Amino acid sequence: MTEKTKTDPSRRPIWTGNLTIGLVNLPLKLFPMIYDKGISFRFLHKSDGQPLKYQKICTKDQKVIPWEEVAKGYEVSKNMYILFDVKELAAIKPESDKRIRISKFVDYLSVDPIYYNKSYILMPNKSNETYSLLLAALQNKGKAAVGKITLRTKEYPVLIHAYKGSLVLTTMRYSYDVVNPQEYKELRNLDKPKKQELDIANKIIEDLSGEFDIEEFEDQYRKKIEEIIKKKIKGQKITVETQPKEEVKELMVALRETLKQLQKK
Amino acid sequence: MVEQLTKVKFTNLNKIIFPLEKITKKQVIEYYIKIAPKILNILLNRAIVLNRFPNGINKKGFYEKNAPKGTPSWVKRVEIYSKTTKRHTNYILCNDLDTLIWLANLTAIELHIPLSTITTREKPDFIFFDIDPEPPASIKEATAVSLLIKDKLDKKGLKSYIKTSGKKGLHIIVPIKPSPSFEQTKKFVHEIGLQLTKENQLVVSELSDTKKPGKIFVDYLQNSLGRTISSPYSLRAKPKALVSTPLEWSEIKKGIKPAEFNIYSIIKRDKEPWKNILENKQEF
Repeated sequence: MTEKTKTDPSRRPIWTGNLTIGLVNLPLKLFPMIYDKGISFRFLHKSDGQPLKYQKICTKDQKVIPWEEVAKGYEVSKNMYILFDVKELAAIKPESDKRIRISKFVDYLSVDPIYYNKSYILMPNKSNETYSLLLAALQNKGKAAVGKITLRTKEYPVLIHAYKGSLVLTTMRYSYDVVNPQEYKELRNLDKPKKQELDIANKIIEDLSGEFDIEEFEDQYRKKIEEIIKKKIKGQKITVETQPKEEVKELMVALRETLKQLQKK
Repeated sequence: MVEQLTKVKFTNLNKIIFPLEKITKKQVIEYYIKIAPKILNILLNRAIVLNRFPNGINKKGFYEKNAPKGTPSWVKRVEIYSKTTKRHTNYILCNDLDTLIWLANLTAIELHIPLSTITTREKPDFIFFDIDPEPPASIKEATAVSLLIKDKLDKKGLKSYIKTSGKKGLHIIVPIKPSPSFEQTKKFVHEIGLQLTKENQLVVSELSDTKKPGKIFVDYLQNSLGRTISSPYSLRAKPKALVSTPLEWSEIKKGIKPAEFNIYSIIKRDKEPWKNILENKQEF
């Protein structure tokens, strides 16, 4: 079991190619950086513990359909589909361009994090000199390079910036993937706060101001599951305490205190 | 959080049990959890009787001797045969915290104990004086009588313990090594009562005189096999959620207001005047 989860770096790049700025060419490798550390479970058959698998079943005659007979359908209206052959779609897949084209440089902090999608670590590919040059320049200026990349079947806007002595590439969302909050009428008709109230609010915020520290946060659900897994591996019997309701929590506090006292006796 | 603190599954925690004070079942359970370290050793190995109020104290409650249907297997029970009713009864033994919590969850507001333990059931280990004032006599007069009784017991070299009944009176207990019969302890209490009637005209000690206004009844009749008294630290099914509270004799001498001994105050009370009652069982 992993203890406090530091993520091990992958040794396999998910993409190799070149970054181009005008005439400058920088060969790079792309490594995954973000892992969603959920705990994954496999579905098993309860009675014999055997793994279960998925099959595609035709909704009309309940027959299992082999992959060769699978097509993709685009729903035009309810139950009306335009049929695409899987090969047909593969043919028009965006060209897996081996190039990240940089179009401009912006202030890194001016980009709204709302648009951030996923981050990757860029590694030099026998190009240490140029890599460290770009890294140092971005660092000094607090700038990020804006460009485009095609990963698998999708083209993304990207931002490249300096992070802990490396170049990090972040794929971005398109503006049409993000809802503008002002679409909500309720938000367009908010009350103007009174100055006095605003002063108080400002004061509270100042008093409670601090540094953001991600280490303060921990996924309690994941932690509990890891504890149970540890116990199960050791063959201990698990009694699961269902998440107590608010009122039961107080009773649990009293219970712990009493159990402690009774133990002393 | 994988540990399990109690085997009890709580139900209807928000139900109001004491309507006047809006005290919920949750608060009742919390009370019994917190008082457990003080009450459990007294309940130990006594065949208890419950006074249950599933719908709150303003609705009809009921006494229960037999362990109810659905009693979990981990609740200890003792089967006792009664010669008078010629019936077997499965009494509950509240020997652990889980059972106490389970009883509270059953809305067993009042817990009543016999004056003997199951190991020597026919030999009492408690001698019991019930001091019951009939209005307009009040706690003040009951207190005066309790001090007279203590005085008599002191002179016989017997250490005694006092508690409020949680209603209007006071209870005195003399812990003894189980050896005399209930007949003997009953006679002993009756005799002291009769002596007091001669010394103090407020005191009566015969059942026929109990309802006379302004009198203090020193009841000896509970000193019988199968009879029960309210347990120390038991809540009482009265509007203000009073507790039958063990007191120091010094507190009695200063004067007390029974209403001050309730579900809220007793949880916070540090004093444990009956702490050593079971280690002080005396030769009688």
